[in-house]
Amino acid sequence: MKYITLSILSAFTIISLGLIGKKEAKYVGVLDENQSVVSVLELLGEQNPNKPNLSIPGATVENGKSIVLEGFSHTVNGSRLRKQSKHFVCTSCHNIKREDPDLAIADPDARLPYVVERNLPFLQGTTFAGIVNRTKFYNGDYYKKYGDLVNKTRNNIREAIQLCAVACSQGRELDDWEIESILAYFWTLEWKMSDLDLSDEDYRTIKAALEMGGQQEKRQAVTLIKSKYLDYSPATFIAPPDNRREGNKLKGEPSRGKQIYELSCLHCHEDGRYSFFVLDNSGYSFRFLDKHFPRYTRYSPYQVIRWGTSPATGKKAYMPHYTKEKMSRQQIEDLRAYVHEMARGGAEQ
Amino acid sequence: MLGALQAQEYTSRTFKDRRVINTNSVETLAKKKLDIRITHRFGDIAGAAGGFQTFFGFENAADVLIGAEYGATDNFDIGIYRSKGAGSTADGKTGLRQLVNASAKYKLLRQRNDGGMPVSLALYGLLSTSTAKKTNNQSSISSFPDFTDRMAMTFQVIIARKFSDALSIQLTPSYTHRNLVTHDDENGVLSIGAAGRLQLTKVIGILADVTLPVSGQRTSPKGYHPSVGIGFDIDTGGHVFQINLTNSKGIVETDYIPYTTSDWSAGQFRIGFTISRLFNL
Repeated sequence: MKYITLSILSAFTIISLGLIGKKEAKYVGVLDENQSVVSVLELLGEQNPNKPNLSIPGATVENGKSIVLEGFSHTVNGSRLRKQSKHFVCTSCHNIKREDPDLAIADPDARLPYVVERNLPFLQGTTFAGIVNRTKFYNGDYYKKYGDLVNKTRNNIREAIQLCAVACSQGRELDDWEIESILAYFWTLEWKMSDLDLSDEDYRTIKAALEMGGQQEKRQAVTLIKSKYLDYSPATFIAPPDNRREGNKLKGEPSRGKQIYELSCLHCHEDGRYSFFVLDNSGYSFRFLDKHFPRYTRYSPYQVIRWGTSPATGKKAYMPHYTKEKMSRQQIEDLRAYVHEMARGGAEQ
Repeated sequence: MLGALQAQEYTSRTFKDRRVINTNSVETLAKKKLDIRITHRFGDIAGAAGGFQTFFGFENAADVLIGAEYGATDNFDIGIYRSKGAGSTADGKTGLRQLVNASAKYKLLRQRNDGGMPVSLALYGLLSTSTAKKTNNQSSISSFPDFTDRMAMTFQVIIARKFSDALSIQLTPSYTHRNLVTHDDENGVLSIGAAGRLQLTKVIGILADVTLPVSGQRTSPKGYHPSVGIGFDIDTGGHVFQINLTNSKGIVETDYIPYTTSDWSAGQFRIGFTISRLFNL
C-alpha cells in the first residue's frame, strides 16, 4: 500500500510539475527577439487566420517546401507527384528571404541595394518571407488583371495560393493537402520580433502590455507592432511612358541598371530558364533591347515591364508585369541607360 | 534557392537550334521540352527541273519532314519523324522512301567558359525505316527481301566550339549504313561534315554547312556531290524559323549523305525551311 501511495504521489508530482511548466511556457515574462511576431500578437489577444491544418494526410512542411522551390510534391511513400506548373516554380517570381530593409515600406529603390547585398533576385512578386504575417492578398490594382477572381483571395491566403497556382503560374489546381503544406512551409518564413524595426522604448511598451497591460495597452501594443511591417503588399499598376523615345524623363544610372538586368531580366531569361525568349550578356541582347526601348511593340522593355506579356498560342507561359512598388520609373531608366551603354560597345563580346 | 545569378560555368547556345541546315548541331533539347518541327525542301530553283516552269521549285516538294523531339534530360533528347525520302543514286535509282526516323542525341561534353573544356561534344544516332510498298523488281532497293533491308542508320560524333557570341564552328564525322543497296553501291559510307553560325543580330544568324562523303564511289565525276547548305535562322523566342538554300533533296542523314546527286553549279539547289515550335511538358 505504501508503495502504491508513493507511486501515486510521485506521478501526481510529476504531472503537476509538467502542468506548471506548460503554464510558464505560455509567457516567460521576457520579450525575446527571436519570438515570432505572431506569437507575441497572440499573447496580446490577436488571432492569426493563416494557421495550417496539418491533420490532412500528406500535409507537411517538407512537401510545402518542395512545391515552392521545385514545383512538385511527394506522396506518403515518397514518389514524386505531377509538377504543379510546366512553366514556373514559385521562386520564379517570389523570393523566400526578406527583401526590404524596412518592412513597413514597399519601396523598390530601397529594395534593390538590399537584394544586391544579399545576392537575391529582384522580382515581380512579393517575398514569401513574412507572408503569413499578411492578412490581405492580391491587393490594389490586381482586380484589373484578374477581375472577380481576386475577391475571394483578398482576405484568404489559401485562395490566394490557389489563384497564384492556377492563374499566375498557369498550372494545375492544388489539392487541399498541398495548400496546407505550402502554408506550413510559409510558417517557417514568418517574421521574428528581431525583423521589426523596434526601439528599446517600443520593446518596453510591448513588454509592459504583455506583463500587466489591460485591453487598451494591449491594443496599443498590437498597433505598435503592426506599424512595423506591412500586412499587405500594395500593388499599383502604371502604364509605360506615353512618349517612349523620351521615356520617363529621368536620368538613368547604368550601374543600377546592370543590377536590374542581372537580378531581374536574366533571372528568367538567361538560358531560357523560365522563358523561351533568351537574353544574355552579349551585344546582341543589348542592341535588341536598346532598339526596342523607344518602340511601341511587345518587345519594348517599357511595355513588357509595365504590362507584362500575354500567353502565346500553344504555350501558356507569359511574363508577369512589375507594379510601381516592384520597379520604379527611375529603375527602368537605369536599366535603359545600362542597356544603351552596353549596346554601344560596353558588352562582353 | 533560385537566387541571383552566378557566373555561367558552361557555354550556352553554340547553335540556336538542333539542326544547322542539313546537319545536326551539337545542341540538345532541354529537359521536358517538346519540339514540333516541320521541314520542307522545294524543287530545284534552276537547271532542267527548275526555272519558271516549276516557279523556281516552289511547285515541287523534294522532301517533307514532320515530327517531334523531346528532351528526356538536359543532355539527352529523342525524336520521331516521318519524312518522304528524296535521295537517288547517280544513275537515277531511288533511295529509301516513306521513312519513319527515330533519333537520339546525347551531349557528352560541354564547352566551359573558363577554358577547362574547349569544345562541346554530342553523339547522335538515327534509325530510318522505310514504310514503302515492297516491289518485285529485284534490282530496286524497295524489293526489301528482309524487313531489316528497309533500314538505314547514321552515327555521328558532333564536335563544336563557340568562339564568341558571333561565331560557332562544328565538325561532324559520320558513318552511315544502309542495309540494302544497289549491286554496284556500298553499304557503309563515311563522311565528314562542317558547319558554322555567324550571328548578325539577336534574332537573325547566318548558317552554313557542308557534308562530304569520304568515299571513292561518291565523287563528282561519278555523279555525287557534297551536300552544301546556306541559310538564315530567325529566333523570335520559342519559335525558330530557318530558311535556306541547299543542293540536297533529302532531309535526314540516311538520305542526304549517301544520295546527294544535285549540283549547285547546275542550278540544282532549292529553298528549304523549318518551322520549330517549343512546348513545355
